[in-house]
Amino acid sequence: MPLSMAQMGENKTILKITGRDDIRQHLYHLGFAEGETVVVVSNRGGNLIVHVKDARIAIDRAMANRILV
Amino acid sequence: MSIKIALAGNPNSGKTTLFNALTGANQFVGNWPGVTVEKKEGRLKGHSDVTIVDLPGVYSLSPYTLEEVVARNFLLGETPDVILNIIDGTNLERNLYLTTQLMELGIPMLLAVNMMDIVEKNGDSMDLKKLSSAIGCPVFAVSALKGRGIKQAAEKAVSLAGTAAPKPPAFSAQTETYLSVIKERLQGHVPPQQFRFYAVKLFERDDKLTGNLPNVSDIITKAEEKTKEDAESIITNERYDFITSVLRGTVKKKNRYALSVSDRIDRVVTNRILALPIFAVVMFFVYFLSVTTVGTWATDWANDGLFGDGFSLLGLWVPGIPVLIENALTAMHTADWLQSLILDGIVAGVGAVLGFVPQMLVLFLLLAILEACGYMARIAFIMDRIFRRFGLSGKSFIPMLIGTGCGVPGVMASRTIENDRDRKMTIMTTTFIPCSAKLPIIALIAGAIFGGAWWVAPSAYFVGIAAIVISGIILKKTRMFSGDPAPFVMELPAYHIPTVSNVLRSMWERGWSFIKKAGTIILLSTIFIWFTSNFGFTEDGFGMVDDLSDGLLSMIGRGFAWLFAPLGWGDWKSAVAAITGLVAKENVVGTFGILYGFAEVAEDGSEIWQSLAAAYSAPAAYSFLVFNLLCAPCFAAMGAIRREMNSARWTWFALGYQTVFAYLTALCINQFGSLFLYGSFGFGTVAAILVLAGGIYLLCRPYRQSQTLHTPRSVQRI
Repeated sequence: MPLSMAQMGENKTILKITGRDDIRQHLYHLGFAEGETVVVVSNRGGNLIVHVKDARIAIDRAMANRILV
Repeated sequence: MSIKIALAGNPNSGKTTLFNALTGANQFVGNWPGVTVEKKEGRLKGHSDVTIVDLPGVYSLSPYTLEEVVARNFLLGETPDVILNIIDGTNLERNLYLTTQLMELGIPMLLAVNMMDIVEKNGDSMDLKKLSSAIGCPVFAVSALKGRGIKQAAEKAVSLAGTAAPKPPAFSAQTETYLSVIKERLQGHVPPQQFRFYAVKLFERDDKLTGNLPNVSDIITKAEEKTKEDAESIITNERYDFITSVLRGTVKKKNRYALSVSDRIDRVVTNRILALPIFAVVMFFVYFLSVTTVGTWATDWANDGLFGDGFSLLGLWVPGIPVLIENALTAMHTADWLQSLILDGIVAGVGAVLGFVPQMLVLFLLLAILEACGYMARIAFIMDRIFRRFGLSGKSFIPMLIGTGCGVPGVMASRTIENDRDRKMTIMTTTFIPCSAKLPIIALIAGAIFGGAWWVAPSAYFVGIAAIVISGIILKKTRMFSGDPAPFVMELPAYHIPTVSNVLRSMWERGWSFIKKAGTIILLSTIFIWFTSNFGFTEDGFGMVDDLSDGLLSMIGRGFAWLFAPLGWGDWKSAVAAITGLVAKENVVGTFGILYGFAEVAEDGSEIWQSLAAAYSAPAAYSFLVFNLLCAPCFAAMGAIRREMNSARWTWFALGYQTVFAYLTALCINQFGSLFLYGSFGFGTVAAILVLAGGIYLLCRPYRQSQTLHTPRSVQRI
């Protein structure tokens, strides 16, 4: 399911990031690698604050929909 | 021999703090990704031949935003002697991702692991010796903030110059085979020490590499068919595998996902319901404090006391500066014209501007606190949903917020915006927000015409925001800007309490540059205005005139003042004031000070207000205010726009758009205001109705479809 639908505070593993563009690569560099564990800290109408690799990253809903967990 | 050491690392890892500690510089340290958008150089303390270069933070050497290009260009093009890779110890894994790329540049390197105190406080442990041997370069634990360990790290960095570069991280045997084929093809194309870097980048299909490079698409296709993965992912996975192997046995973590204090604060401030009200309260507090309360007390004292009649200090009457100067000049029996130049020109003009220094300092202080505590990045996140509705991303809000201090850094802060269209739109609209130099204009109009009404200052910010929103919608519907803004992705730093020295330093630096501006450009402008307004052609030939309206400036002003007649202020004084505002916005008030005789009425500072009030109707005054808030900014900000647009055509388009937008808005305000208040109807009213109708059409027409789903990259080729 897309990360945007994940429950707050639950550990999730990234299966895949869909699409093929610069933004996906930028996400890789920020630590969103496949197989990585992520936790949603805050959900603001689909816009998320996510914990990944000890960093706190804010992403919007469109982006969160592309991260499958 | 001179040595160049580059500070490289992730955004917000403490590079600028370290830079300040190493060089004794005073760069402001903000707590959000993208504070440093341009590289800065300084000399290492105690080593006159060692230069330290502070680079903008990057997550990788495949640049995603413009400021990342600055860092990559420097590392590749100017090849520093040593790289000091600063690493946030609380986020080792992600920070090492960049390290794996820096190791490929063929430059000697050392690691400085920052924020070790926090790592220890979290109960984690790190074996830096093991880390050093696994990576193959020296590792130091430092605390950039407390200055611990930085001296040893810097000495080591100096000694590394000219030594061997670290061995690049080894990938799997299969990937290495592909890379070695590419390396063979690179012979003669790039310097040998950069073979590894270019081989990996070519394999990743980095589209921003330029120069005469071999075609390697056959190798990439072969690799992708074999692994069923795209080349970018292959390399990313190799890097993370390498990091995992490095960290094995090096780091012991206690408890990874405990909710930190920052997370708890975020739960509240980014809460679905509370986020916007909290933001509104914070902003109201900032501007209320600086514009209306604390700032005004201080400014009143400065204007009426220091630059006015005088003030009472512990029961002792201290005369104001104009009084002192006047007494001194009279005592020295200076010539009348010189006395007039100094009192009516310089003191009136520069004094009118300097009087606002206390207000600015309060605003700068509050903005610095906002930037340093970590809330800035959250504001971008909160505003993203709203800004997206009119075609901007939440990241556009940071330039605007910084722009409330000064438009120049505001425009420069737009570099963190990834998408070229979003960035251009942000540059065009950032200066709509009233900057600190426009505060005097607001205060003057509010005080003189509207009797100090409380709503004038907030309404100026509201006008600025409305102009941004309306422009966003209108521009987004043109072909040039159609398409969705780039998706929002931004790292949120941990909150921390700002250090007093950092905040005061920022306040002082910005305040000082304001004072310097008053002493240079505004001083020159006031002398120019005094001269041209007091001299002119009379019956006796060229000479000093008794009445300013006989002066040269009046003649010139009358030449174009008619342009502003439909806006309600077609007199030459206002026209000249608006034009001098293009040099620096403070000039508007300074010019009024000279033309309405600020110094002569110094016994009662508000007398200029009475003469102004007599010259303006309420709608005309507000129209004047709005025009000056929205039109093309000062020279310095225009220069910043030119630099960031990097195109003369776009610069003129931006400035033209701002000025036309300002003119039409001011026209509507004056015409509709006069119609409703005084019932005056005329040709101008018809024009305003047409403008309004046109504006509504531009706002309501449908969005154009973007031709491509792919968003163009903003970064320039290197």
